[in-house]
Amino acid sequence: MAGILGIEYVLPEKVLTNDELAEAFKSWSADKILKKTGISSRHISADGETACDLGTKAAEKLISSYEISREDIDFIIFISQSPDYLLPTTACIIQDRLGLKKQSGAFDLNLGCSGYIYGLAVAKGIVDSGMAKNVLLITSETYTKHINSLDRSTRTIFGDGAAATLVGQGGMTIGDFDFGTDGSGKELLMIPAGGMRLPRSEETAVEYDDNGNIRSKNQLYMNGTGVFEFSIREVPESVDNILRKSKLSKSEIDVFIFHQANKFMLDFLQRHMKIDEEKFYQDFSDIGNTVCASIPIALKRAMGKNIIKNNQKILLCGFGVGLSWGSTIIYTGEENDSFTV
Amino acid sequence: MNDEKKLAMLEELMELDEGTLKPETELADIDEYNSMAKLSLIVMMSDEFGKKLTNDQIKSFKTVHDIMDYMA
Repeated sequence: MAGILGIEYVLPEKVLTNDELAEAFKSWSADKILKKTGISSRHISADGETACDLGTKAAEKLISSYEISREDIDFIIFISQSPDYLLPTTACIIQDRLGLKKQSGAFDLNLGCSGYIYGLAVAKGIVDSGMAKNVLLITSETYTKHINSLDRSTRTIFGDGAAATLVGQGGMTIGDFDFGTDGSGKELLMIPAGGMRLPRSEETAVEYDDNGNIRSKNQLYMNGTGVFEFSIREVPESVDNILRKSKLSKSEIDVFIFHQANKFMLDFLQRHMKIDEEKFYQDFSDIGNTVCASIPIALKRAMGKNIIKNNQKILLCGFGVGLSWGSTIIYTGEENDSFTV
Repeated sequence: MNDEKKLAMLEELMELDEGTLKPETELADIDEYNSMAKLSLIVMMSDEFGKKLTNDQIKSFKTVHDIMDYMA
């Protein structure tokens, strides 16, 4: 049975505080930003520091702290929406940088906040079918590179970060999955220009004012209300679906770890879905919303704080850009040291 | 729920001084009616009135009165 054998994460060095944001957005105080988002600071990638760099660093940390032999890794999945190049595939670059064997499979997966769930699903499929033994799953994001410094709707929320997860036989067993997709909501979270549909041009670089938020079509746009409405519609249903599929009730779940979007949304979901507050893990006040890295970072932090224990069932749910969402349940099992290879 | 109470709830939601809002006030004229206030509105409708408020419905609101009608 495929399981999670280890997780590590890294954050870029540079930190952006609410005081600095309050300086840029005069109408919002640092306290107000904290109250609304639950975020006090975020880590920002340096110029020239890419999701590939952060992901490689997270993988190196994973390899050294779990004493993984590079020989044992035979598949690399890189999840990000900030690739180094349009082509080649970032996962191929990472194979070389990590010195992993050439007999490895590698590909990128373009998803945002739901990415970790889909990554676990694909990794589980690869391991359980015997196509590969150990999948290195890297979830790494630098949304801040897509954000206009005068767009408070996104700049207050997103932070950069990367996590590396090893999926193989044993460890925390990965259970069933529930998936969801609604491409009709593609415009709710979008970078309109830069792909083939609308290549970057002088025209797309022109900045415009959207209710006091400044951005161009080359940059990230988020319809916060639309994303919120989508999340409170689909997340409860996805959670119900995965519970039904796994023949479990809500009360049998020990810890709920949702995509760490922001406090406003998570508090509402927790209340609305009647999940015990103490079972609903939130841990992002110092890092913000790190997109596809948010769930593994929260999971690792919960493990470090001894919130994750033996014989537990942990429900994970990711949701966001696409629109795309998914849920799974992981089972920690008996052994104390079950997280090592 | 009477109109005074509804107005007071909306004023609190938008962090406005008491008596600032009138039913005929155009939402487009209220600076504080921003995306964060709209999110709070969705939450308030669900928590206080047990109603699901969609993005499309929010877009259809033109005046404070439109929101008050929905709060009924």
